[in-house]
Amino acid sequence: MIPYLSSPVTVNWGITARCNFVCSHCFSRLDPSEELSHEEALRVVDILAEQSVMFLNYGTGEPLLRRDLFPLTSFAVGKGLKVTMNSNGSLLDAAAARRIREAGFHSVGISIDSATPEVHDAFRRMPGSFDKAVRAARLLREEGVPLSVSSVICKVNRRDFPALVALAKELGAHTIDLHNFKCSGMGGLNKEALDLTPDEWRVFYEAAVPMRDAEKGIAIAFDDPILSLLGSEEKGKLVAGSVCGKLSLYIKPNGEITPCGFIPVTIGHILRDDFGEVWHGSKVLSLLRNKAAAGKCSGCAKFSSCLGGCTARAFAVYGAYDAPDPHCWSDDTKP
Amino acid sequence: MIVPKRNPDVVWRLEKGLHAMAWDKARKEEEYEDLGVLTLMVKGGIHQLNLVGAEIWTRINGIGTVKKISVEVGELFGWEAEETEEAVLEFLKGIAEQGWVTLNEGGAREPAPPWKGSRKA
Repeated sequence: MIPYLSSPVTVNWGITARCNFVCSHCFSRLDPSEELSHEEALRVVDILAEQSVMFLNYGTGEPLLRRDLFPLTSFAVGKGLKVTMNSNGSLLDAAAARRIREAGFHSVGISIDSATPEVHDAFRRMPGSFDKAVRAARLLREEGVPLSVSSVICKVNRRDFPALVALAKELGAHTIDLHNFKCSGMGGLNKEALDLTPDEWRVFYEAAVPMRDAEKGIAIAFDDPILSLLGSEEKGKLVAGSVCGKLSLYIKPNGEITPCGFIPVTIGHILRDDFGEVWHGSKVLSLLRNKAAAGKCSGCAKFSSCLGGCTARAFAVYGAYDAPDPHCWSDDTKP
Repeated sequence: MIVPKRNPDVVWRLEKGLHAMAWDKARKEEEYEDLGVLTLMVKGGIHQLNLVGAEIWTRINGIGTVKKISVEVGELFGWEAEETEEAVLEFLKGIAEQGWVTLNEGGAREPAPPWKGSRKA
C-alpha cells in the first residue's frame, strides 16, 4: 500500500456557488465566493489533466446555472478527464439532457431524497422539485446518459431508503449514493433537526448494508468510513478512513483548494499555487493522512480500519481532525 | 494464441512518480512488489497494480498476444521466457475473473491463401 497517490483520483469542483434551491443541509450556502471566469476555468482543467486526475465532479451550487458548463465540459473530456456532476434536476430539460450527452459527461447524479414527493420537496424546500428531479432523470436516460441518484440520509428519510432504491432502479440509475449527513455549513446549523444519533446511524446501516450486499440491480454506495464498525467496508476501498486528501480534493468556486467540500480549510489556490506541491506538501493533508487516535478512539480495536471515521464531521463538531467521528456508536475501547 | 483486451469501462492511470520509484527500487534489487504504481477505477471500486502488473497492463492493446506481452515483460525484468508466460497468464486470468479484461482466443490469423476466388477441389 502506498502512502498516497501521485495526485487525486477525483477532484470535486464547485464550478459555481449559485443555486436556485435553499436546502437546509447545504454545506456551501454560508460560504458564497466569486466564481472563476471561463478562461480561468479552462486553466483549471489544464492543470488537472496535466496531473492525470481521473475524475472531475462538479458539485456545490447548481452546475446548470453556469453558462459555460457545456463547452467547459467538452474541453475537459477532450483532455481525458471523466466528468460527472450533481444536479437538483430542476433546470434539466430535454435540450439540456441532449447537450449533456453531447458534451460527453461520464455520468450525472440527480438529487432525490425520498420516494415520497412531499418529503423530498420539504427537505429541498422547493415545491415541485421531486417531479422535476424525476423528469430530469428520465430525460437523461432517454439520451443514454449514465445516471446516478444521490440522496442525503437524515431524519426525514432514514426509514425510506428501500423505496428510494426501488425508485432509482426504476429510473435506470446505475448507482444510488446514500450520503451520510454532514454537519457543515447549513447542515451544522440544522444538525439537531436533521442529523441522526449514533445509535440511529447504527440501525440505518444494519438495515442498509445487507440490502446493498443482496442487491443485484443497482449499486448502493455509502462512502462512509464508519462502516468499518460493522466490518463491512465497501469493496475496492484503497485507503482506510476518510478519502479526503488521500484520493480526492475539493476546489471552491473561487479556486481555493480544500481537502474536502465539508472541511473549510484552505490549503492552496488552484491557479496561484503549484498543485503538486499542495498535494504532496500540505501540512493539513499530512495530518489527514496520518491521523492519531484521540478521545474514545484511543485503544479502540476498530481504529486501524476506520481511522476515526469521517474527518469532516469530527472537524465540524469538535474543530479537530483527530477527534472521533460524532456518528460513531462504538464503545469498543478494548485493545 | 490468447489475446487480452481491456474492459473499456475500466478507468486507469499510471502513477508516474511511483512508477519511477518502483523501477528505481527494482534496479537496486530492493522490495518493490508492495508499491502500487497503476490505479484502476472499476464500478466505483478503486484498485492498484504493482510494477509487474502495471507493465503487463500497459502492454494490453487488444492486438498483442499473451506470448508477446510475456516476452517484453520477461526482457524488462530479466526473467526466463517460460516462467514469465505462466506468470503473465495467471495474472491475466485473475483480472479476467474480476472483469477487468477479456481473454480471447485467436490473434494470429491463418495466412491468406495464395490464390484469389474459389478454388476447385
